[in-house]
Amino acid sequence: MPSGLTLLEFLRDRLYLTGTKEGCGIGECGACTVLLDEKPVTACLILAVEADGCTVETVEGEATDGRLSILQRAFVETGAVQCGFCTPGMIMSARGLLRRNPNPSDDEIVEAMAGNLCRCTGYEAILEAVRLAAERGRSCKVGREEGARVPKQGGRR
Amino acid sequence: MLGRFDYQRPSTLPEAGRLLVGNDGPAAILAGGTDLFVDIRGRRHDPRILVDIKRIDALRRLDVDPAGALTIGAAVPLNEIIECAAIRRTFPGLVQAAESIATYQLRNRATAVGNLCNASPAADMAPVLLALGADLIAWSPRGERTISLSSLFVGVKKTALAPDEIATELRIPAPEPGLRSGFLKQQRLRGHDLAVVSAAGTYAPSAGVLRMAVGSCAPTPLLVESIEVGRSSKAVVEKKAVRAVQAAMRPISDTRASADYRRAVLPVLVKRLVADLLAEGGAP
Repeated sequence: MPSGLTLLEFLRDRLYLTGTKEGCGIGECGACTVLLDEKPVTACLILAVEADGCTVETVEGEATDGRLSILQRAFVETGAVQCGFCTPGMIMSARGLLRRNPNPSDDEIVEAMAGNLCRCTGYEAILEAVRLAAERGRSCKVGREEGARVPKQGGRR
Repeated sequence: MLGRFDYQRPSTLPEAGRLLVGNDGPAAILAGGTDLFVDIRGRRHDPRILVDIKRIDALRRLDVDPAGALTIGAAVPLNEIIECAAIRRTFPGLVQAAESIATYQLRNRATAVGNLCNASPAADMAPVLLALGADLIAWSPRGERTISLSSLFVGVKKTALAPDEIATELRIPAPEPGLRSGFLKQQRLRGHDLAVVSAAGTYAPSAGVLRMAVGSCAPTPLLVESIEVGRSSKAVVEKKAVRAVQAAMRPISDTRASADYRRAVLPVLVKRLVADLLAEGGAP
């Protein structure tokens, strides 16, 4: 693998996991957020070779057996998705937050999501989605049961 | 592709040292990469080899000794500093500065030592570490040396580090009893932004000395002359602090603000900082 390949390029262009998006390419917008050893990071500013030996989680890991995760469903139900380009990054930042803090305050949600820019929603619905997912996650033993069907994936080659 | 370079991940300092000098083209030390990769992408930097220091165990140290002295390794990301309970208790100004940098995602990669080595006049970690009297330890095959932070910065994006030296850790001396610290940053917008100007300070009522440093108002972050607080009123200390800062600052006009604006706003920040530090209970 070429050393200069970013983790983002590796995910999208080599593994065809195109859920992770490229926005700015300089760590400003958060569209490429993935979890690296459970920590949210921007995949555009990490080399694929740096991730050797680490666990990488992308939005493709959210749904199980064709069913959306609680977090994804909360985004759909609250209208937190409009054009959808920022959504995978938002989901991964929220996933990182809920894993380290299942009961976040609004301020904690805002701080955790502040590195993810959205040009459509005005953020209120996203805040609401994470609140809802946190609430459901706490009252639900299995994190990903009873989800809606995952829409058919494009882009698989 | 970010660029064409070789990537090496040594596990010891001597190995890293050999990689830095034994090559055809320029080498760059890679820690968090949040500045380096942006520079490579923007074609401001074109190294032939990247030496990733994150797997060198000695550089991952983050500890507070029984006296309260703090060591921060060069591979420790900012979020580890922010989340460290002992640091939050003892050096709140350090946490405030770290929290003001970029976003949660970037703070999972960006390091305090990298922020200093990048030597931006606006480096957010610099003022508070200057005020705390921190030293940077530099390793090279020739040996190890201690660089006082006040002599690390020699110009815009220039440090006193030699090309074969690796900054390994920051050492912050044990705090005087009851030491207070704080960091304030003026930004163009609420949220994530580089500093238009910044100010940090420390004050220990037991010692009666106020130490301050400022950022983004000279080619390098600046340690300002210490102020004896003694029995002076807050108004007198504020006046002395503002005078000391005004004597030291050499602001320029750039994309973030004019020199005049920086001259106008820094005293406001300094007064707020002094008020926070002198107040009962210390900085918020």
